Amino acid sequence: MDVEAKRIMALSISKLYSLRTQRGGLCLHRSLLLSMTMRAARDIYHTAQLLRDAEEEQVVPCAPDAAIEEPMEISKDSPQTLTPKEVAMKHQEPKETVEDDKENQCASERHSRKRRSKTAIEPDFLPLKKAKMDTDEEKQHLQGEVLRTNNGNSCRQAETLTAFPTNRAVVAC
Amino acid sequence: DMNFCSYRPALYRNLTDVSVSARPTADIISTVEFNHSGELLATGDKGGRVVIFQQETENKSQSQWRSEYNVYSTFQSHEPEFDYLKSLEIEEKINKIRWLPQKNAAQFLLSTNDKTIKLWKISERDKRPEGYNLKEEDGRYRDAATITTLRVPVFRPMDLMVEASPRRVFANAHTYHINSISVNSDNETYLSADDLRINLWHLEITDRSFNIVDIKPANMEELTEVITAAEFHPHQCNTFVYSSSKGTIRLCDMRASALCDKHSKLFEEPEDPSNRSFFSEIISSISDVKFSHNGRYMMTRDYLSVKIWDLNMENRPVETYQVHEYLRSKLCSLYENDCIFDKFECCWNGNDSVVMTGSYNNFFRMLDRSQRRDVTLEASRESCKPRQVLKPRRVCAGGKRKKDEISVDSLDFNKKILHTAWHPQENIIAVATTNNLYIFQEKVN
Repeated sequence: MDVEAKRIMALSISKLYSLRTQRGGLCLHRSLLLSMTMRAARDIYHTAQLLRDAEEEQVVPCAPDAAIEEPMEISKDSPQTLTPKEVAMKHQEPKETVEDDKENQCASERHSRKRRSKTAIEPDFLPLKKAKMDTDEEKQHLQGEVLRTNNGNSCRQAETLTAFPTNRAVVAC
Repeated sequence: DMNFCSYRPALYRNLTDVSVSARPTADIISTVEFNHSGELLATGDKGGRVVIFQQETENKSQSQWRSEYNVYSTFQSHEPEFDYLKSLEIEEKINKIRWLPQKNAAQFLLSTNDKTIKLWKISERDKRPEGYNLKEEDGRYRDAATITTLRVPVFRPMDLMVEASPRRVFANAHTYHINSISVNSDNETYLSADDLRINLWHLEITDRSFNIVDIKPANMEELTEVITAAEFHPHQCNTFVYSSSKGTIRLCDMRASALCDKHSKLFEEPEDPSNRSFFSEIISSISDVKFSHNGRYMMTRDYLSVKIWDLNMENRPVETYQVHEYLRSKLCSLYENDCIFDKFECCWNGNDSVVMTGSYNNFFRMLDRSQRRDVTLEASRESCKPRQVLKPRRVCAGGKRKKDEISVDSLDFNKKILHTAWHPQENIIAVATTNNLYIFQEKVN
């Protein structure tokens, strides 16, 4: 599920960036829709990541419940495991339960082995440099959506852009 | 069978022959509009040109009315510009054309690109003065010594010439891209709308406009919606509506206050939670809003549906029509190829009983409100032989495909009909594919 979310997030970001080079200047409407979609996908992706990390960290008594009632139940319990800051980030809860239901086939065991670190949470495809010739409005708008991946609470540099495979088979949503 | 009206092509004009055209994308039609009598049909294209067609009717011996629309005038309305301050190119693409009601022999229309609106006068000249006293016919002055008598010039008929001249240029009032213009029923003012603001102009005054709606937040990072379309009420000169990217429509009354940020009515339908997806926001964005001719209803177009709203009921539309529901399961692919951002327009017929909108694969849909029927037709060279009735088309959403049906996966998403127009009185429609204009007329038996 978060694989799809990550793909849509990457797709949205690349579309946002290609908007800037389009003739006629920045299309506000489209960039708004793209950033909304990107944010929704990002929230799903982050939530899924956090849930997997939370799952690892759970104390033994709770573990059986969490392990048995895999993805769907965990997402229902999510309000309790998330910190208030992270709750603010996700505003699509009802949708997630439905989406998790559909897409819970992905191998989350793979990810649970990952050591929890800040880098794991950050998407690995954000560009390092921003183009210089932004207008103020563009800059504010895009900075807010693209670079603010942790609610602006830390000032870490964005990751370098790495090749992200986008030519996957299309999955109809 | 649902064949409630048969159309046959009256004009087929190929506007682009890629092999000879120097700029193939410039011929892409970007707007289509009949004037108030329906005699003239204006099209605007991506290259900034306006082409006007005129209706010529002839009575055939079989007593079948057959209309023909022939080219009446062509002119370059807008040129590409460069904003040096922002290092941005301003496209010459004509976003909208709106006709003014006719007051005298000349015709007037407003055409707009992203930043500038122009008022054009289209006039006919069918006579010219001849026999000047001091000048030769070619304009050279006669030798004064040879002039011995007084000769008064007289008007003599000449071949009809149609001239288009720019009478007003309304510039520098929009920071964002203009998406709509609408002439007021008072015939003195008009509005222009961009993503965040709506301005009111007087047709005679170009150096000033009044801002009547401003939804720009103080902090652009808080931006959640933009204006997507705006239109004046057809009869009430104080009323206008504007639609948003969030699927809402606001009706404003200019008598209430100078700045109409507070709406008089808010039209919004609660979202169906079972349809929620990543793309719910995008597909709920309204791409067009049009008042009915009688002024009692308005129609909105979003990506998958057409909705008819009663102006007296804000909480839900009175009618909803699915345009191409079979696309709902394909939203992800349509997001990838950007088709999900296509802005379809919609239009009413003269008596508000039928509405029309476009789709993909050069299909367009007619939705009959009174008889609760709908039909899908196709505008393409192959399916439109002259005088042949258009055959209804069917899309197979899944399962076994019947004969004559086309499956969703075979649809050509590059062939989209975004702009359609309906003659204000007769059953004549203009349908624009990417670079061709089709005009269909109802077959009268």
